[in-house]
Amino acid sequence: MTRYVLRRLALSVVTLFLLVTIVFLIVNVFPDDPGRRIAGPFAPQETVDLLNERLGADDPLPVQYGRLLRSTVTFDFGDSFQFSRPVGDLLWAALLRSAKLVALGLFLTIPISIAAGVFAARRRNTSADRSVVTLGLASSSIPDFVSGVTLQYIIGVKLGLLPVLAVPPRGAGPLEELEYLLLPAFAIVVVYFGYIARMTRAGTIQALDADYTRTAVMKGLSTRRVLSRHVLRNALQPTVSVIGTSVGYLFGGLVALELIFNYPGLGSLIYTAASRKDIPLLSAAVILVGIIYMVFTLIADLIIAWMNPRARLEAAGS
Amino acid sequence: MNIPLPDPASAAAVVDEQAEVAAHDELILAGTPVGTKTFDTRAERRQARKERLQLLIRRPGFIVGVLILAVWIVCAIGGYRITPYDPINDFARPNLPPGSGGHILGTDQLGRDVLSRVMAGARDVLIAAPIAAVISVAFGSLFGLLMGYYRGWLDDVLSRIIEALLSIPVILVALLITTVLGSSRLVVVGTVALLFTPIVTRTIRAAVLAEAQLDYVTSAKLRGESGFFIMTREIMPNITGTMVVELTVRIGYAVFTMATLSFLGAGIQPPSPDWGLTISETYRLIQSGQWWPTLFPALAIASLVIATNLVADSIEAVVTT
Amino acid sequence: MDFRVFDRARRQVGPLQLDLVESYAQGKVSRREFVRRGTVIGLSLPFISAIISACGSDDGGTSGTTGTGGGDTTAAGTDTTAAGSGTAGGTIKIAAQKPVSVDPVAMQDLGGYGLVAQVFEFLVTLGENGEIAPGLAASWEPNEDGSVWTFNLQPDVKWQDGTDFTSEAVAATMDRLVEAGQSGLKGVITAGAVDSSDPTKAVFTLTGPNGNFPYLVSVFNAQTPITPVDYAIGTTLDQNSNGTGPWKLVDYNPSTGARFERNDTWWGGQTLLDSTEFQFFDEIGTMVTAMQGGAVDAIVQFQVIGGDALLNSPDFTVLEVESSTHRQIWMRCDTGQFADKAVRQALAFTFDREQMVETLFRGRASVGNDHVIAPFMEGYDDTVPQREKDIEKAKQLLADAGVTNLTATLHATAAFQEIPELAQLIKSGAEEAGINLEIALESLDTFYGAQWCPAEPPDPPCSGAAELGIVDYGHRPTPDVFLNAALFTNGVWNSSQYSSPELDAAFKEYQAAVGVDAHQAANKKIETILNEDVPVGLPYFYNYLSGNSTNFQGVRVSALGQMFLEKASQV
Repeated sequence: MTRYVLRRLALSVVTLFLLVTIVFLIVNVFPDDPGRRIAGPFAPQETVDLLNERLGADDPLPVQYGRLLRSTVTFDFGDSFQFSRPVGDLLWAALLRSAKLVALGLFLTIPISIAAGVFAARRRNTSADRSVVTLGLASSSIPDFVSGVTLQYIIGVKLGLLPVLAVPPRGAGPLEELEYLLLPAFAIVVVYFGYIARMTRAGTIQALDADYTRTAVMKGLSTRRVLSRHVLRNALQPTVSVIGTSVGYLFGGLVALELIFNYPGLGSLIYTAASRKDIPLLSAAVILVGIIYMVFTLIADLIIAWMNPRARLEAAGS
Repeated sequence: MNIPLPDPASAAAVVDEQAEVAAHDELILAGTPVGTKTFDTRAERRQARKERLQLLIRRPGFIVGVLILAVWIVCAIGGYRITPYDPINDFARPNLPPGSGGHILGTDQLGRDVLSRVMAGARDVLIAAPIAAVISVAFGSLFGLLMGYYRGWLDDVLSRIIEALLSIPVILVALLITTVLGSSRLVVVGTVALLFTPIVTRTIRAAVLAEAQLDYVTSAKLRGESGFFIMTREIMPNITGTMVVELTVRIGYAVFTMATLSFLGAGIQPPSPDWGLTISETYRLIQSGQWWPTLFPALAIASLVIATNLVADSIEAVVTT
Repeated sequence: MDFRVFDRARRQVGPLQLDLVESYAQGKVSRREFVRRGTVIGLSLPFISAIISACGSDDGGTSGTTGTGGGDTTAAGTDTTAAGSGTAGGTIKIAAQKPVSVDPVAMQDLGGYGLVAQVFEFLVTLGENGEIAPGLAASWEPNEDGSVWTFNLQPDVKWQDGTDFTSEAVAATMDRLVEAGQSGLKGVITAGAVDSSDPTKAVFTLTGPNGNFPYLVSVFNAQTPITPVDYAIGTTLDQNSNGTGPWKLVDYNPSTGARFERNDTWWGGQTLLDSTEFQFFDEIGTMVTAMQGGAVDAIVQFQVIGGDALLNSPDFTVLEVESSTHRQIWMRCDTGQFADKAVRQALAFTFDREQMVETLFRGRASVGNDHVIAPFMEGYDDTVPQREKDIEKAKQLLADAGVTNLTATLHATAAFQEIPELAQLIKSGAEEAGINLEIALESLDTFYGAQWCPAEPPDPPCSGAAELGIVDYGHRPTPDVFLNAALFTNGVWNSSQYSSPELDAAFKEYQAAVGVDAHQAANKKIETILNEDVPVGLPYFYNYLSGNSTNFQGVRVSALGQMFLEKASQV
């Protein structure tokens, strides 16, 4: 197991290096003059040049690349071009908000999706099964910004049951904060329910058909015991993998929901930084999301390895 | 049978949050290879194909899926000739609710007929989405075959690159591409294909990995067949099912992704009645109670995704039996 | 007419002011325009009233804005029903655009304007009628040709740190603006323009006569609030918020919002509210939802499309301000398919302006006539014939010019207010005349950086612009910036590359025009030339929409995102 983890960590470092390189290439493709952007269109060229020198935007590309690599190691990306304050301050605040929303969203999504998936698998090819699959497909084929606005309008504005925006007022307690996060979390449920439920269903069907399940049933074990002991352990492996990879996506990909609920998380931070060419902020945010992604896929793989000793052995041996 | 080991690449994340379902659909296939023997004669293959087709048309899911697709194909071919109004240039009163003034599904913010726009929108969707899906599956299969068959350093390097690519937020890729290339239908199709290729690659690679360990591949190697021959003649026929599922699933997700790109300002250009574009143009009207210009194209997308999945699921089920 | 008052008035005032009084007496300018113009050139309100009553005329010209439709619309963006008379105490929560920059000198966005204006004040502020009124300057007067302006500062004004406000800060602020190349003041003043030897007076010596100068140091030139002497270019509101204004900044987070508390030592008196909270948004649509859902009490700006819910709500007071905010459909005049004037005219004849005003704004806009003089502007000449949709005429023009199968790309910004919808209406109209337009909606960066006014080639500015596109222009009380930047030969935003000696001469004439007659004559020339040459199509000027919950009153707004809350209160 240790060898497996070490190998995975080593591979992650390689991936991180590649990611930083790709990010560097991307941000330098944007044609830009940060000094001009900050100083405005009418500022004299000397002011702009001075700013660019201060920001290091004039340095040769290899120097900038080196700086970015160093920044990744120390995680000190300097000051944001746009907000003239340390990138870290902005990033951690956004990370914390994203973490809260993602945690609540998954907390709500995972149990009902897995329950629905197992339920559908056990009633395979019945109308109940088809309803779960079709509902899942339908809900997840509607873009998140549409389901977000719809929930906001019906539950927030028309019925007045929940706050329409996600940011709680100053000094709100944890419970109140939770209440504010519910609507966007529901939108996450709508998008991810179908995905996770279908995955669970597919995994469960496969496990139910497997030889070990038949053996267990023939041994006369109760359905409940078969399910919990044999089926779920195997059936949920792909689900765990999916959830692990989704976390990274949720941290950086909820741009639309964050805009709609005015919740300044990592997704909208990346959007703002990219559209305003705030290179230090953009690079740092994208690298952070990449690291989160890698960490959670690693965690998911470790859980799967723990659930499936054979995979662990093979992985260590490879 | 078992899920293949959680290799970092095969467990890698998805840009499109739906993709893993497809990956898993494929995993099932990979684990239960499509006949562990190759078909001996052409006649046998033809016979097998015929049997599968018969199985297919007996499945209600397949029929429903095909019917829905047929409706949209008719709309796409008929285009502006069969819509009740000109979907682009007929301006009635804006924001008429469904059923009023001869507009069954109402009018949008500029007074155009929603029904006509949904019908005409099928054309844009049915052209762009399949092309993007075909491109991603073609490239994904190519890389997947190479990585899964040869493994070694090629696999290691490409796997790392794929993982790094997948960890970059879609938003950044979309903004980057439109900044550099502008936004046109071609760019949209290319972007979606680019976003999907790593995911498809991963799926195909996993399938190839499973196949490559089987006896028929080993014996082909012993016979001294070239790598190219083994990949195209031996492995490919056995992962065709995976490729077909992947293709149909990707078509559905392509529609969704194009809608998201439109939301980010990187999509198809107006006044196209493309569903995704229409949704991103009108979803803001929901908050003023004008839900119809958004809901109907959203339902159209959902129906298309469901239909392609019904077809894909049926194909998968038939292929694996 | 009471001639005694007139004779006394003639003796009191300078030549610039006298010209206006005479023009009014002769009926050449409306009362509305007399009041506005009088304020600009430094006539006091009592003096203006005296003249008006002496003339005894009432030509009905009242304040510029009328309210229509649902909600409770008030004139000139000012809910004056009970300003200053509500309950004391409380906090107002405001939905505002997320500021891009809060550097008073360099900011370019409405979000920044609105925030900075809470703490820092202008020499000339927003009056009750939506026009300019005395701010940090209690009064002002020009010399005889309008080239030297003296601003007499309010007495007893203190910075929030307790030090005295003097003309030294005015001089320092103006020098910073000159150094930063502020768009309105560029070419009007140079470094060291302000004489601050008398701490109670700021004396501006301009580079030439300018009859509109007070506008350039008013709320309508949003980067000109007076900041302390120790401010520098690049200092931002959150780094130094030591202003003279009614509110103190107590908390600022660039991604979430800002909080202000009452400044007890404000020279203007006590505000009724204890504090104000600005919540930042990326999207106007989300702001509307927040307003609807009761998450905020006021909204700095919203749009008609997507804003129906607010316009029709009984719990919402609409603040509507007539503004010169508009879109220009620029067409390259020097090269490409639109170089022939007839082609440009043809496209302009395909605009269905009435439909645009109705569909995009539900009538809350006024039809434009392809020139930048808005109907409410001083000296607007309404005798230039209005261009109407005329497809036959457009076809004729194209045929005469020998143009067939005209196909062009119409560039515009994606997801920016009503621009995508406008592009579709333009395309549809053009099609009727056989012009095929391909719409290209682009990200802000691509559009401004590559289509509208690319940095390369730098000389002349914007010479790398696309041949056709839609660009947005924010509100200005006078057309100076529109003319100077977008239409003057080699102007910095001249994306149509229009170069007309006639227009340049007319603009020079307009700038130097200090008298009422000269002003109107210059305007007429500008309108006629632009309407004929059509370097830009200009289909409408639309009203700025803002508003607050009916639980509050006394909120005032400018069309530049500034919300004035010193007289606001809970009902």
